[in-house]
Amino acid sequence: MAVEISKVIQDWVPNGSKIIDFGCGDGTLLEKLMKEKNVQGYGVEINDEKILSCIEKNVPVIKLDIDFGLNDFELSNFDMSIMARSIQCLKNPNIALEKMLSFSKTCVVTLPNLGYWRCRINLGIGKMPVTPDLPSSWYETENIHLCTIRDFENLCEKQSITIKEKFFISPKNKKGIMSSLNPNFFATEGVYLLEKE
Amino acid sequence: MKIETNIFDFDEGIHLENGTKLISFKLMVETYGELNQSKSNGILLCHAFSGNHHAAGKNADGIVGWWDQLVGPDKAIDTNKFFVVCCNNLGGCSGSSGPTEINPLTDEIYGKNFPQVSVKDWVNSQKMLSDRLGISKWHLIVGGSLGGMQALQWAISYPDSVNKAGILAAAAKSSTQNIAMNEVARESIRKDPNFCNGEYIKNNKKPKDGIKAARMLGHITYLSEQHMDLRFGRKYQDESSKISGDVDFEVENYLQYKGEKFSESFDANSYIIMTKAMDGYDIASDNKMLEENMKNIKASLLIVGFNSDWLYPPARGKEIQIAAINQNIKSSYIVLDGEQGHDSFLFHSKKYSKAIKNFIES
Repeated sequence: MAVEISKVIQDWVPNGSKIIDFGCGDGTLLEKLMKEKNVQGYGVEINDEKILSCIEKNVPVIKLDIDFGLNDFELSNFDMSIMARSIQCLKNPNIALEKMLSFSKTCVVTLPNLGYWRCRINLGIGKMPVTPDLPSSWYETENIHLCTIRDFENLCEKQSITIKEKFFISPKNKKGIMSSLNPNFFATEGVYLLEKE
Repeated sequence: MKIETNIFDFDEGIHLENGTKLISFKLMVETYGELNQSKSNGILLCHAFSGNHHAAGKNADGIVGWWDQLVGPDKAIDTNKFFVVCCNNLGGCSGSSGPTEINPLTDEIYGKNFPQVSVKDWVNSQKMLSDRLGISKWHLIVGGSLGGMQALQWAISYPDSVNKAGILAAAAKSSTQNIAMNEVARESIRKDPNFCNGEYIKNNKKPKDGIKAARMLGHITYLSEQHMDLRFGRKYQDESSKISGDVDFEVENYLQYKGEKFSESFDANSYIIMTKAMDGYDIASDNKMLEENMKNIKASLLIVGFNSDWLYPPARGKEIQIAAINQNIKSSYIVLDGEQGHDSFLFHSKKYSKAIKNFIES
């Protein structure tokens, strides 16, 4: 995860809160949050090697396929759930959002922006986008539900989800002026803090 | 590796969950490695239903311990670093107080009169052993199957005495199917004419056929369908190595062999007591109950399930994990493929050993 993004998420995570990180990878973010924000953290991951790294870091981790595993937390109570660059890999991103906001007060979502200008050029010349940020070919990518910043914000509105904070990333992980002015065109990634009344 | 095997006598006795009391008892204990000065490097292994105190290395009879693949110098549970302890559970038949031992009240063999012990009783007796060893807090308590139930119960019963608990191929309760399988096994023992209503020792008999059939059924439940297919397929047994004329297939020969061997060493009353203890364990009559029971746990947990295990499938471990999360317990849950079905917890695999090692040393 880009340093910028992890900093932003760290700012949003309340001290001492209970959080769950879907697609936690090797546990780097959670380890940091456990150390610096004193959170009670749990990661969800499907890759065995990454799970072993979490255990090595003493980061609690659960092996689950997020697509099927979200139901397991229905009776749980978290302060925050995090889904960094995973929502576009799910079968039903809209249902996933609803679920996460049912068992956690707030939810952090980060997602790649298909509206980024380099993606548009790719599509303009009749090709599926392959960019430094989305490096896989269409037949190899795990991203089955890519969307633009605008699409995502429209979905939030449609599902009555409040966007409490947002933050956009430009190439090289900088918070550029251009990506703030017109994120749907200039941002490679959007980072959202969501809430549902 | 330094191995010591000792009998510990407990003249103070123990109150059992069923309301009776053993006025005194003994535990057969094996230890590996050395206890450090601060007594902080202790690891307690809890054995499964037919296991015993001999967990690692070779004993005098040349028998390799049940968890030798994971316990030893430089192995996942490293005896160079940790003082590893394993005892034969009460009611067993490997030297601890049990049906084949003398009842101090009557000076006769307990036989069928040995009281029904439980997972909680085992944990309580192991706690007495810990006190005797001077270990106030175990770095890790770990076990597979019925042993995993003990590790979980330890974390519940003695929250201040467990730093980490490893719960492998286990569950918070036996399932209906588990109980059903065990009952078939017990019935085959009871209906052996040599069982003599449990008094076979007095009558100089041994219900070997019953134990053998029980074990053969057990073995099927410990293995996965795929593993049996790969290992035996539909291959026919060589005439020269057939155990009996009734055998056609290799798998039959294997079960006959395993059953026969087991029936020579295991006690029938122990079989009944151990499986009844397993069936009786239930700290999760519903999810709320499980959470209530787990709320005081202070240990970190590692819960491991195996996809090929249909006796205690991974979903049983997941129930414990979800309850742990809801009770803010530091707990990890992993699922590995494990080729050998329920028995997978006994065998080394790269990921499995690494998970345990990482958990111990994190």
